[in-house]
Amino acid sequence: MISVYYFGAISLILIGLYAVLVKKNLLKILIGLSIMETGVNLLLISIGYVSGRSAPILSEGIGPNQAVDPIPQALVLTAIVIGVATTAMALSVAMLIYEKYGTLNIEEIRRLRG
Amino acid sequence: MSNELLIILLSPLIAGVLAWVLDIKGVRELIGLVGAAVPVAYLAKLYSTVTNEAITYSIKVSGFNLGFQLNTITWYFAAIASLVGLAMALGMVSTSKSSYDWLFALMSYTGVLGVFLSQDFVGFFLFWEIMTFASFMMVLKRNRHESLKYFVLSVIGAYSMLIAIGILYAKTGALDFATIGKVLYMDASLGTIGTGETALIFGLLLAAFGVKAGMFPLYVWAPGAYSENDQSYTAFFSGVLSKAGVYGFLLLYMLMFYKLYAALGTFHGHMTFAYIIAWLGAITVVVASFLAVLQEDIRKLFAYSSIGQVGYILLAFGIGSGLGFAGGLFHVLSHAVFKGLFWLVTAAIILRTGKTQFKDMGGLAEKMPYTFAMGMIAVLSLAGIPPMAGFASKWLIYEAAISAHMPLVAGSIFLGSALAFAYVVRFLYAVWFGQRPSDLEDVKEAPLPLLIAMTVLAIPNVLFGVAPGIVTGYINKMLGGEVVTGNYYKLVTPTGTYNALLIAIVLVIGLAIAGLVYLYGAKVRKIKVTNTYQSGNPVTEEFNLSIRKNFYRPLAEALGFWLRYSWDRFYERLAGVVEDFADTLRESSYNGNVQSYSWYLAIILLILALWGVL
Repeated sequence: MISVYYFGAISLILIGLYAVLVKKNLLKILIGLSIMETGVNLLLISIGYVSGRSAPILSEGIGPNQAVDPIPQALVLTAIVIGVATTAMALSVAMLIYEKYGTLNIEEIRRLRG
Repeated sequence: MSNELLIILLSPLIAGVLAWVLDIKGVRELIGLVGAAVPVAYLAKLYSTVTNEAITYSIKVSGFNLGFQLNTITWYFAAIASLVGLAMALGMVSTSKSSYDWLFALMSYTGVLGVFLSQDFVGFFLFWEIMTFASFMMVLKRNRHESLKYFVLSVIGAYSMLIAIGILYAKTGALDFATIGKVLYMDASLGTIGTGETALIFGLLLAAFGVKAGMFPLYVWAPGAYSENDQSYTAFFSGVLSKAGVYGFLLLYMLMFYKLYAALGTFHGHMTFAYIIAWLGAITVVVASFLAVLQEDIRKLFAYSSIGQVGYILLAFGIGSGLGFAGGLFHVLSHAVFKGLFWLVTAAIILRTGKTQFKDMGGLAEKMPYTFAMGMIAVLSLAGIPPMAGFASKWLIYEAAISAHMPLVAGSIFLGSALAFAYVVRFLYAVWFGQRPSDLEDVKEAPLPLLIAMTVLAIPNVLFGVAPGIVTGYINKMLGGEVVTGNYYKLVTPTGTYNALLIAIVLVIGLAIAGLVYLYGAKVRKIKVTNTYQSGNPVTEEFNLSIRKNFYRPLAEALGFWLRYSWDRFYERLAGVVEDFADTLRESSYNGNVQSYSWYLAIILLILALWGVL
């Protein structure tokens, strides 16, 4: 039986992928990318989860054996920053494209570019 | 002792680099000449040693043991290469004005010597590539399109050879010729290497050596590469570099003879693999000779003729008998000297007239008498007129084909020889005799170095023609048996006897009588073109009766059906198809639409996921 976390995370990735593959509006594609990224982060976090344990912060009463896997969390922290940066850059590119071509439809843009 | 091999091998290359670096007019020519002459001197000095025992030298280069050996066979090939190399260098003093030419001409000289002397596939392949690269650079400077053609076919040949070497290494565990030969010899009876693999190695090596030798249907690079070049260098290119391919075929026999015989069996009483070589050689002879007859450009004519003549050698090797090898090896020598001479004559003509087409030539015999005499020797030798080297070698090949009971192959030699006569006669008449075009009035005799170069190559043509026994005696030593008996002037084979001296004496007497008749008996009268009649009709001045233009057009018309097929066009069309296919593939997949790239990615991920699940 597949865990609900995995199912949800993979569903988010697939929804994002669907948007990227099918949608024609550039902003919708970027939204799809964002959703996909969220799904990936959730998937990574859920991989590190060990049932019944707490956050991996060593404090009173919580030793290394009582914490969940800390590595995916560090990974996801990095991935979130990268995701935000790429999204910001992609959005600025989308702005520039709109200024140049006056449309956000990717097929239209291809035609105008020749 | 061993250092001498290294000196022989590297002196042309060192001289070439020095000439290129110094690049002072006069000095580079001198250095180049010395570099080209050193191998000749050393090889001549080592002759008596080599006939008794082989001289070997080996050097370790980055883990590989490169072995070189000067034995009776390699000495023969290296001596031919160095003789023509010296003539090339002499010719280049007159024809070549750039240090670039000196560098690459001498580099290919070293490459060829390395190919002949190597005793393992590492050195063989290394020098093979040096030779190819240097000759490619010589063509590249003059004509990019032709150099590209040469490059592509050479690369196909080189990769075929590399794959074959890889398979041989995997199967025998050795790269040196001695071990490979021994392992394959033993495997002929054991049969651990399958028939398919043996055939594959054979086919790959056939392609590799066939490209260099200009074998049918891989000859298409040769006409362009030979003609778009410095003609003095072409003397070496066509005379010796093609022999590297021929030497490769010899190597094929030395390494794989028993294995191929055992694996591929016989066909109509001949060894199958040798039969294939013989027929490829025969087809090369016929096709190239027909094409040579139809050329309107001197350089193209000799380029095709060169392909055809190398075809004789392959054919002779393909006959596979001792006599066949003797004839083939003799023809290696005679082709190198007469074709080298031809190209030097062509170099002189082009240098002095600046023209390459037959239609612009004529009446040059009075202006360049010495060059004409040299051209005459080359013509006699190529056409196979008795007291010349070309006759002795072709005669041996005929004898071999007839005694091996291969009538069709022998017939192709006859046809090729008849055609060879047709094209050299055209060269003789169109260039040297007849009316001289007015713009050739102040043509001078060729420069001295070029004349010396021609003489260097004309001497062996006559010497080995009158005394073919010198060469066949040495070939007997190479083959390790009395294949062709007789003395210096007389050749005796199981089916016939040829006395060169007798024929030479008769010929000289005949010429003397003809000369006397000409001087004292005949009335010489100058005639105009209009004094000739054709089928009873007077000919007008406009009508072109000259041998110089479209002389063999009736032949071209008769061959019209066959001339529609051309390997050159076939390869070009093949290249076009490949290019179109790649273009279509690229345009349909690389369409500039980001979303389709995402689709590719998604599909690949899906496939990978399914693969993981399954």
